[in-house]
Amino acid sequence: MSDLFKKEDWWAVWIGLALIGGAVLTFAYGGSIKWLAIAPQKWSHLSEVGTQLQQSGPRFLALFGVWAFAFGLSAAALGLSVARFLPAFLALFIVAGVLYFLGLWDQASHYNLEPPLVALVLGLAVSNSWGTPRRLQPALRVEFYIKTGIVLLGASLPLTLIAWAGPVAIGQAAIVSLVTFGVIYLSAVRLGLDRRLAATLGTGGAVCGVSGAIAIGGAVGAKKEDVSVAISLVVVWAIVMIFALPLVARSLHLSTGIAGAWIGTSEFADAAGLAAAQTYGAYAGTVAGVNGQPDSAVTAFTLMKVIGRDMWIGVWAFVLSLLATTRWERTGVESRTDAGEIWRRFPKFVIGFLVASAIVTFISRGYDYAAYKKVVLPALVAPLQVLRTWTFTLAFLSIGLTTRLRDFAAVGARPFYAFTAGVAANVILGYVLSTQVFGSFWDRLGQ
Amino acid sequence: MTHTRVNSCRQCLHFENAPATVEAALPGLNSLSSAYAAVRSDDGVCRFHSRYVAASSLCNAATSTRQS
Repeated sequence: MSDLFKKEDWWAVWIGLALIGGAVLTFAYGGSIKWLAIAPQKWSHLSEVGTQLQQSGPRFLALFGVWAFAFGLSAAALGLSVARFLPAFLALFIVAGVLYFLGLWDQASHYNLEPPLVALVLGLAVSNSWGTPRRLQPALRVEFYIKTGIVLLGASLPLTLIAWAGPVAIGQAAIVSLVTFGVIYLSAVRLGLDRRLAATLGTGGAVCGVSGAIAIGGAVGAKKEDVSVAISLVVVWAIVMIFALPLVARSLHLSTGIAGAWIGTSEFADAAGLAAAQTYGAYAGTVAGVNGQPDSAVTAFTLMKVIGRDMWIGVWAFVLSLLATTRWERTGVESRTDAGEIWRRFPKFVIGFLVASAIVTFISRGYDYAAYKKVVLPALVAPLQVLRTWTFTLAFLSIGLTTRLRDFAAVGARPFYAFTAGVAANVILGYVLSTQVFGSFWDRLGQ
Repeated sequence: MTHTRVNSCRQCLHFENAPATVEAALPGLNSLSSAYAAVRSDDGVCRFHSRYVAASSLCNAATSTRQS
């Protein structure tokens, strides 16, 4: 079967673009998919939740049906058991719905109950205490949900904004990626670690987290246990950063655009970074000193992480695999790389993100800003934002439920020191670039 | 059973790259990534060398088994 149907990146593109296509068609005929894209409303007493569920029950059921069909179909194509996936997905959807409602409680921000963090803590507590139920595991596809959400996110960002901010994101990300990789790689080599492990750790910290680690681990032919070490370090630090970056940014009163850019520069994985950025975006208007539009944190994060860092993983894999083959000590396995590596490892969901942006930009071309806000935003873009929030909530919940610390590989002191040196360099440099060098740019993006 | 030489890890007896097998071999992989992701390409685990390698790689031990 072609990669178009056996990789989750492509399925995220198909699902995201099918939903956007449906929304555009409905909009073209004067309607909206608002009925389907149901989101809980603000509430202050539990009885109001009951009323909402009573009034909108069929809409929640319809939304579940659409997700179950889309994700179930792709699960079948990916070779997963649909019979095991669907019941698990139902349970995940119900818990995600509870968390979505919780986030809209009018006292939620007072008690710091930001849905991404609650989802993460709840998941971590379950998986690391009595364990995630085996029956739930088939539906815990963090990356699949987050990629689908990123494609849907493309519909909220005009192509002109991506073209305007993209070069700055690429420039800032390139500086931080090269420095972080250099710090981790050189520290690891100086500490006596194998160059393949050093490169795997380096791209895990500098480019795209666990995805970067497995891409480079495979490209250079790293030891299996070394890839496990890199995965463990990335996951643990990524989870620490989900809590730490919003907390520090909040204490520094960074605007949502600047904080999103910093998180995009200094978080390791897309799902972890989006959890941190969505959390920070919710502080706008509720936490004193935090300015900017709520969605700007997610927007700046996505530009920095997806456009600035993720897209380049194939280039890193190609270059490092050439180095491994020609310069590093031999391992008994001969790597045979070519420039096709760049496309084979390209994160294809980025194509969906850009196409989604192009579609909505094209549809909106005849509207001035006032008309866009009055017509296009509520009928076309806002429902797609609701669908995106659902996919992100499913992903945030899945992160904690799949992170079982006792299953992780024992890391050892030297890989820990090397990776941690890179984390420190990344966070400091990312802060300076996001707040000082490009601060006014990211701040403007957030207004 | 006869052993025959193969041209790449992809055809080798010691190479496993089914996504579920890769996720089981690398704990934590599906926490923040996935074996179904495009970035993994067709990489898999070589049980002979205990390495994580690209499917296009090759070594002297690469063999496939055929019923005879």
